[in-house]
Amino acid sequence: MASLKEDPILGIDGITIKEEFEIAKPVIDKLREDRPALETEGTVIKGESVIDKVIEEGSGGQGERDMVPPTCTSIHRSGSRPQLDLSKAAIEGNFEERDPTILLPNQSDDISHLALDIGGSLIKLVYFSRHQDRPTNDKRKKTVKERLGLSNGNRRSYPILGGRLHFVKFETSKINECLDFISSKQLHCGGVDSHSWHSDTSSNGNAVIKATGGGAYKYADLLKERLGVSLDKEDEMDCLVAGANFLLKAIRHEAFTHMEGQKEFVQIDQNDMFPYLLVNIGSGVSMIKVDGDGKFERVSGTNVGGGTYWGLGRLLTKCKSFDELLELSQRGDNGTIDMLVGDIYGGMDYNKIGLSASTIASSFGKAISEKKELTNYRPEDISLSLLRMISYNIGQISYLNALRFGLKRIFFGGFFIRGHAYTMDAISFAVHFWSKGEAQAMFLRHEGFLGALGAFMSYEKHGLDDLMVHQLVESYLGLHPVKRKRKRKRKRKRISWMEKFVQKGTEITAPVPMASSGTTGLGGFEVPSSKGGTLRSDASALNVGVLHLVPTLEVFPQLADPKMYEPNTIDLADHSELEYWFTVLSDHLPDLVDKAVASEGGTDDSKRRGDAFARAFSAHLARLMEEPAAYGKLGLANLLELREECLREFQFVDAYRSIKQRENEASLAVLPDLLVELDSMTEETRLLTLIEGVLAANIFDWGSRACVELYHKGTIIEIYRMSRNKMQRPWRVDDFDAFKERMLGSGDKKPCPHKRALLFVDNSGADVILGMLPLARELLRHGTEVVLVANSLPALNDVTAMELPDIVAEAAKHCDILRRAAEAGGLLVDAMINTSDGSKDNSSSVPLMVVENGCGSPCIDLRQVSSELAAAAKDADLIVLEGMGRALHTNFNTRFKCEALKRCRRNSNLRNEGHIPRLELKIYSLPVVYNS
Amino acid sequence: MDCLREIETDGNSNPIQISRLALDIGGSLIKLVYFSRDSGDHEDPLNDSVRISNGVNGRLHFAKFETTNINDCLQFISANKLFFGVTIHLKATGGGAYKFSDLFKEKLGISLEKEDEMDCLVTGANFLLKAVNHEAFTYLNGQKEFVQIDHNDLYPYLLVNIGSGVSMIKVDGDGKFERVSGTSVGGGTFWGLGKLLTKCQSFDELLELSQRGNNRVLDMLVGDIYGGMDYSKIGLSSTAIASSFGRAISNSNELHDYKPEDVSRSLLRMISNNIGQISYLNALQFGLKRIFFGGFFTRGHSYTMDTISVAVHFWSKGEAKAMFLRHEGFLGALGAFMSYERHSLGDLMVNQSVQIPVDASSSTDTNYNPLERDLNETESMQCSVYQA
Repeated sequence: MASLKEDPILGIDGITIKEEFEIAKPVIDKLREDRPALETEGTVIKGESVIDKVIEEGSGGQGERDMVPPTCTSIHRSGSRPQLDLSKAAIEGNFEERDPTILLPNQSDDISHLALDIGGSLIKLVYFSRHQDRPTNDKRKKTVKERLGLSNGNRRSYPILGGRLHFVKFETSKINECLDFISSKQLHCGGVDSHSWHSDTSSNGNAVIKATGGGAYKYADLLKERLGVSLDKEDEMDCLVAGANFLLKAIRHEAFTHMEGQKEFVQIDQNDMFPYLLVNIGSGVSMIKVDGDGKFERVSGTNVGGGTYWGLGRLLTKCKSFDELLELSQRGDNGTIDMLVGDIYGGMDYNKIGLSASTIASSFGKAISEKKELTNYRPEDISLSLLRMISYNIGQISYLNALRFGLKRIFFGGFFIRGHAYTMDAISFAVHFWSKGEAQAMFLRHEGFLGALGAFMSYEKHGLDDLMVHQLVESYLGLHPVKRKRKRKRKRKRISWMEKFVQKGTEITAPVPMASSGTTGLGGFEVPSSKGGTLRSDASALNVGVLHLVPTLEVFPQLADPKMYEPNTIDLADHSELEYWFTVLSDHLPDLVDKAVASEGGTDDSKRRGDAFARAFSAHLARLMEEPAAYGKLGLANLLELREECLREFQFVDAYRSIKQRENEASLAVLPDLLVELDSMTEETRLLTLIEGVLAANIFDWGSRACVELYHKGTIIEIYRMSRNKMQRPWRVDDFDAFKERMLGSGDKKPCPHKRALLFVDNSGADVILGMLPLARELLRHGTEVVLVANSLPALNDVTAMELPDIVAEAAKHCDILRRAAEAGGLLVDAMINTSDGSKDNSSSVPLMVVENGCGSPCIDLRQVSSELAAAAKDADLIVLEGMGRALHTNFNTRFKCEALKRCRRNSNLRNEGHIPRLELKIYSLPVVYNS
Repeated sequence: MDCLREIETDGNSNPIQISRLALDIGGSLIKLVYFSRDSGDHEDPLNDSVRISNGVNGRLHFAKFETTNINDCLQFISANKLFFGVTIHLKATGGGAYKFSDLFKEKLGISLEKEDEMDCLVTGANFLLKAVNHEAFTYLNGQKEFVQIDHNDLYPYLLVNIGSGVSMIKVDGDGKFERVSGTSVGGGTFWGLGKLLTKCQSFDELLELSQRGNNRVLDMLVGDIYGGMDYSKIGLSSTAIASSFGRAISNSNELHDYKPEDVSRSLLRMISNNIGQISYLNALQFGLKRIFFGGFFTRGHSYTMDTISVAVHFWSKGEAKAMFLRHEGFLGALGAFMSYERHSLGDLMVNQSVQIPVDASSSTDTNYNPLERDLNETESMQCSVYQA
């Protein structure tokens, strides 16, 4: 059980709090990232602020300030700046496993966490920041590990670190800004786990950074001078290919097609990826035939590339930035400058060879025949003509090369594209046109970072080689640093993380009108009044999220068909569906903000964060409404997860904390009565009651006003009974009999208890305590091991793996079955309940365990679950999925290798009243699905 | 336009009697091909069709006008109109044959008989390659070399006609061809962009500027990116262009800070190189050994030809060679001209054509190097027309 101080807003409504535990505040390891932004010469480079999405529970967190021993001491570090906290990167438990030679002072091939791609126009950075170490003294985990046979022995002799990959870019002409950024984050100060050797390296200043791109040669001296680092030059093509291969393998929905404004993600089969043509459009264009990892050949290229577009465009339009030029093209009409087939043929098509009147016969050809000067043309038209000319040309040459080598797939990357829809359309059009529809252009979401990523990969022992797709989780919240003009007159104080959050809310460009600074209650803080030309780049920057590397994530082993698995039941590509959820989430937002603010004590600080959260989340929503694929393929699970991430981003670690506590208290209070009632029934009745109970208990859902009313009207047990009565059989789809047969046997058939059941729990309170726990107890009684699977991080009012042991411990006070099983499962070890040692005979009981699922979302993507859960699932023969998020919004259609019982509330009038989801008819009437 | 002057010059000494005239009205230029009989031979052009068995000696003339100055062209035709005879139909090709059809009708009372553009191009090229010795040549590193074409091993070849836009045609025989590709980045792009960027008044002026330009000012070279080093691993020298106009990004210069010569040079290289590359890729795709470049973009301009040749050489790793045609600009017009004979005269051949350089004094292209003048002077050729 978990009870903090009183919930200041919601109160407790007469429910007695029996005990009060001080729960260590969950630590979200983000402080390192949330460094104050730097002020450098009138511009602010804003560091990304990302959160650890997964597996960041744990206590014992410390503020950043108290863990900043100067672990990395580069010569050129400016001592006053906040520095990247590398002390936490210490190897700790894994230290012994390391190769001793790592201690050599000249060790330079250690895991570093910064790689550069210095191109002709842009510098791209990829850097790695580590997740905070999790506490190692978690006894529950230890027990689970022992039970599940999880060994500590890794496949590797070196540690793989969970952490985040960040993507940042700078203009090459402003390399100083880049250097400031690096030095401010101390990214150049050695490796992630440089702990063991940095003191040596710092003395000789021999830090080495992997770099690629032409600038790696050109600016080597500058970096040496400014940062005291040497650049280890990696071959550009090697890096491009390594980067592309990594992305295509490791990131789901990395590749997509883009035709006529429609983005469609392409599932790349890792086993049938090669060969492909990689077209990298930087200043110039390289075309590379890729046959495998490290196997490739640069087969072609063209000097007409992004540099040509920007160079010519600048001369012709006086635009100040590449993005401004791109932006202009959006509003252009190329017919004023390009000579079209129709212009030559007097408006007619040239049918014989299949050229329509609007086909461009000659780019800029019209500029010949008219008496106009440059100034007579609209810059918009010029930009569009130029863009089409270059895009078509690249598309054509790429296709011809693909054809030549018989390559089926063409991937376009590089910074020219920049997620710019028109550019992608133009390239796609060219490929489609010239191939007569046989070839398709595909694009990469991390298009600009291939080289930098490849350079990063070239560090030895980075551990990313065999990184699997399920180990990466992308977060869209980490934005790239955006240079913004800022008046120098600002107060001298450093920008607090709070201000950055508010900026973030503002910087996410979205068509919704943003509240001006005056209405945010943030007096004195300057919100940029004009985003002007940076609009586009900001928007496109959002397309690249921060990659969270979570090496412990695995694919759920019981999936029947992992390749075809799609978690989302609801496809938000359907715009009306998206609109519906957009409305639901928007409507619920004020309430959520209230809860979130209340959960943090309702302080001014929390109010400001709540405000910023609301704006950021609305902006994300609005952006998604406009471009659903902005962050990759969008499913309902992603949308709901985005909200949770957003909350965490603004440091609301558990918005429903007090509500959950209250409900847990109330439910635990009536549990003994329920168990007595259950035990008085026959086995068969009991089983039915339990199933009904799970459904009924799930009604106690946080958002429901009706539910709050019920609280006021009766006791919990009455409500529970009442709800259960509503669940009377027969249900629409009713597989209960099949389940019953397995559990209790029928006729000659003997009951055949399951070996191990995984119970995916959902809500706190009645749901888990009055619904799932009694079911678990029943299974335990039949000799089935029970594993309760709960969220790693809070999401809505879902119970978390961290909260469960306390709840179980409390419940076990009243029930021997639960107590013995919990003891066997190691749950009572660190709970403070186990006072009566005398009656211990845990050897006779099957264990009740708790594992975390690796998620922080109300939904679950079974491709990415914790290693703990994966291990537990291997021997499971029954899976119970319960609740809206996990059994309906996601996984409703999922098939498992073992038996599965999916249950969700048949209920449309409690939550989201008035909105009947499309799925309701089809799904809400199917409360129990049991497939064996 | 200067060619008009040439023709007048020609006419000063000996008035031309035009008995056949065909037009190719393109996006930027109008090309004319017309036939004049040798002076004093037969006064009446109408007799052409009468004389059947014996060859008719005469000259094929080539002239061009800018499409924007179409009135000059009309005036020229009008002045020679009486020679055409009573049936005032002119064979014409190019998009302008459609676009300006009414204009010809209205101003001159002439009906344009439209011939398909590709048909004409191919017919013209086939005629030239077969009938004219030393029509085709290679051009690499300033060295021009004539190529002897074996009439029996001519096909298939890739014909790249660089007009305002670029058409790439796979030719398998007389009348057997397919337009396989093309690009919108062609002569019109050079002239159009060039005009916007340099304020040049004519295509030739722009071309001429490029002669004196240095593309390193605006182009980003491999060496610029690699700090002066080659990227030898993939065979790129430090002087290879990594990104055309890529340097215009990185410094703060405005358009007027650049010399028009340099701009023109970069532009020419960009476009020539691109055409060369796409042409080679198409030849490769269809297994074509020979690539002929025609159309008015090259204009016998050495630097253009050099760049195209280098591109083909580079991308084919020396296996393919770009070839050029001396009558590059007149393929379409020639083809249209040839179409007169098709119906009535069967497979009439123009053979044993002898090119006669017109008087040196007639050339005004003194700014071109001697080599180009040489090419440009072949504005007429003597030939005998026989009926088979």
